Amino acid sequence: MTAIVENKPAYDGKALDLTGRSGARAFKNTLATVLIVLAFVIAIIPLVWILWTVISKGYHLLLNAEWWSQSQRGITVRREGGGAYHAIMGTLIMALITAAIAVPIAILGAVYLVEYGKGTKVARAVSFMIDILTGVPSIVAALFIYAVWITVFGFNRVGFAVSLSLVLLMLPVVLRSTEEMLKLVPDELREASYALGVPKWKTILKVVVPTAFGGIITGVMLGLARVMGETAPLLILVGYSKNINLNPFEGFMGALPTMINQDRTELALQPAADRVWAAALTLILLVLALNLLARLVARFSTIKSK
Amino acid sequence: MSVNRLLRVGTVAVASLGVLALSACGSDPEPSGSSNPSSGSSSTGAADCPQGTLNAEGSSAQKNAIEEVISKYNEKCADVSVNYNATGSGAGIKQFNANQVDFAGSDSALKTENKDGGETEAAAAAKRCQTNPALNLPMVIGPVAIAYNVDGLPKLVLDGATAAKIFQGDIKTWNDPAIAKLNTGATLPSTPISVFFRSDESGTTENFTKYLAAAGAGAWKGEPAKKWTGTGAGKEKSAGVAEGVKSTKNSITYVEWSYAVDNKLGVAQIDNGSGAPVELTAESAGKALAAAKPAGTGADLALKLDYATKEAGAYPIILVTYEIACSKGLPAEKTALVKSFLSYFAGKDGQASLTELNYAPLPEEIRTKVDAAIQSIS
Repeated sequence: MTAIVENKPAYDGKALDLTGRSGARAFKNTLATVLIVLAFVIAIIPLVWILWTVISKGYHLLLNAEWWSQSQRGITVRREGGGAYHAIMGTLIMALITAAIAVPIAILGAVYLVEYGKGTKVARAVSFMIDILTGVPSIVAALFIYAVWITVFGFNRVGFAVSLSLVLLMLPVVLRSTEEMLKLVPDELREASYALGVPKWKTILKVVVPTAFGGIITGVMLGLARVMGETAPLLILVGYSKNINLNPFEGFMGALPTMINQDRTELALQPAADRVWAAALTLILLVLALNLLARLVARFSTIKSK
Repeated sequence: MSVNRLLRVGTVAVASLGVLALSACGSDPEPSGSSNPSSGSSSTGAADCPQGTLNAEGSSAQKNAIEEVISKYNEKCADVSVNYNATGSGAGIKQFNANQVDFAGSDSALKTENKDGGETEAAAAAKRCQTNPALNLPMVIGPVAIAYNVDGLPKLVLDGATAAKIFQGDIKTWNDPAIAKLNTGATLPSTPISVFFRSDESGTTENFTKYLAAAGAGAWKGEPAKKWTGTGAGKEKSAGVAEGVKSTKNSITYVEWSYAVDNKLGVAQIDNGSGAPVELTAESAGKALAAAKPAGTGADLALKLDYATKEAGAYPIILVTYEIACSKGLPAEKTALVKSFLSYFAGKDGQASLTELNYAPLPEEIRTKVDAAIQSIS
């Protein structure tokens, strides 16, 4: 800028003032700042509102020990008492099974895409499919599993079927994030390893994956948090049970989203309404705990450069 | 260093597993009624207590009733878990016929004819029960309320024809002459009537449309069916329509009585042609049921209700909700569970617990027949 100004022949010799802004620019700057702050506030309002509503309406049941240790067996919508133990355990069990199936497939798939299949047609096709899978709504995943598990094979509705459909939802999330993390590992590290005569598989196992480990774990936890709140597969693939059922291969199973759904229809009755809010808050806390855990794992497992 | 890192990750993992393990010691709440479960009603002794889990699904009209009965039943038989998912009569029968649940709750007996010419509900159910017929067991009587929300209108009287016209959409405003004639002296607003109906397939809709067809003097144009054919806005489940009326001024719907009471909605009195409008009470609903005749013969317990009854003091819009169970053909341990639970449901204790929830108990004559049918399950 200054160079152009100095070259002007008609320059009147006054000192160029670069400290302040001209009126129009100052106005634009203020306008942009106001708009940005406004957008931020608008984005934060519903978030704070939801949190405030759920916490203020749900917290008092969570303070009881029985909320964490008892089921809803024998508690009708008119009665107070009981807890969410059956639903918490149901949600955790289904989420753990989902993770056990989805995580190895996702990580190995990502390793293939980044390390072995880079640029090949197969890799590009798989990548494209994963993108499509990311956009599949949960109800479609649930109906697909219903068609396979119940219509074709004739099995009953059980918790494991829910896990299968959640795998379809979790897989693309974890695979995508793992792929991005592996791509971030600098090629110099791989080359250094090869230069020392280390085979490729060992390079991946000892250099690439450990370098990206924190990011991979974060991706897994985010994927878990996403599937734990899914409701459609629970409605279609398993019945809600008020009793404790820890067996994912037999019988109805409680889960937090379906617990909310069960009592949602009875909000005119105070005990039921209290339980709905408390179950919602419990679900939020579970997801929060998982996210904190992910942060913790990521912090402890990052390679520190000395 | 990599060993160190693995150690740290391991520690976190073990810690989180520990939290899980700590939490893995949950229990069921203590039965609310009696602190000593063995003392209770063990003297009846007729219904022995097997062990296991019973899964059922269906009518949301009987949700409150069956939950109460399950709760009472568990005080007696602690080793049985009964799950009931209130997804609607249509869904319940479908899941029963698809072998997904052990018995179904339905607001109408299994259909023995199919208008589309396909397999009938009764035939599909018999197939599920390994070529044994399924039983229709009338179990809970739920009066259907015409619930409304109009400011300054504590009492509303309707008759069959006016109700049919409102739900058909022929009467559009609250101050219509037909309504005004039945409610002399009441101040009716000139606002439009918003009608809410059940958007899911519902036995309540079927029973209510049967009433409109029978008592509507030709004003109701559609066939009685689980799917609504009248006017209005759809809401899901009994609670959905109740919530809709509660939150919308000048609205009206049909819903089980208990939902109308829970939501503190106005309930219309019905002029059945006997001269005086009938208020909805357990007594007036029971009077209408006394006029019911068995629809089938022998072991078939499906009831035929007289919706057009003109008996003084009889509230004509009632629905009978059934449990649908296999007469034979379930695995032995499931048979024992179904028998044990349903006999308790149809027993005097089970039925007595329903009155406080705004259901009417089965008349003794019908109750003994139902009990006999349950005992014949093998």
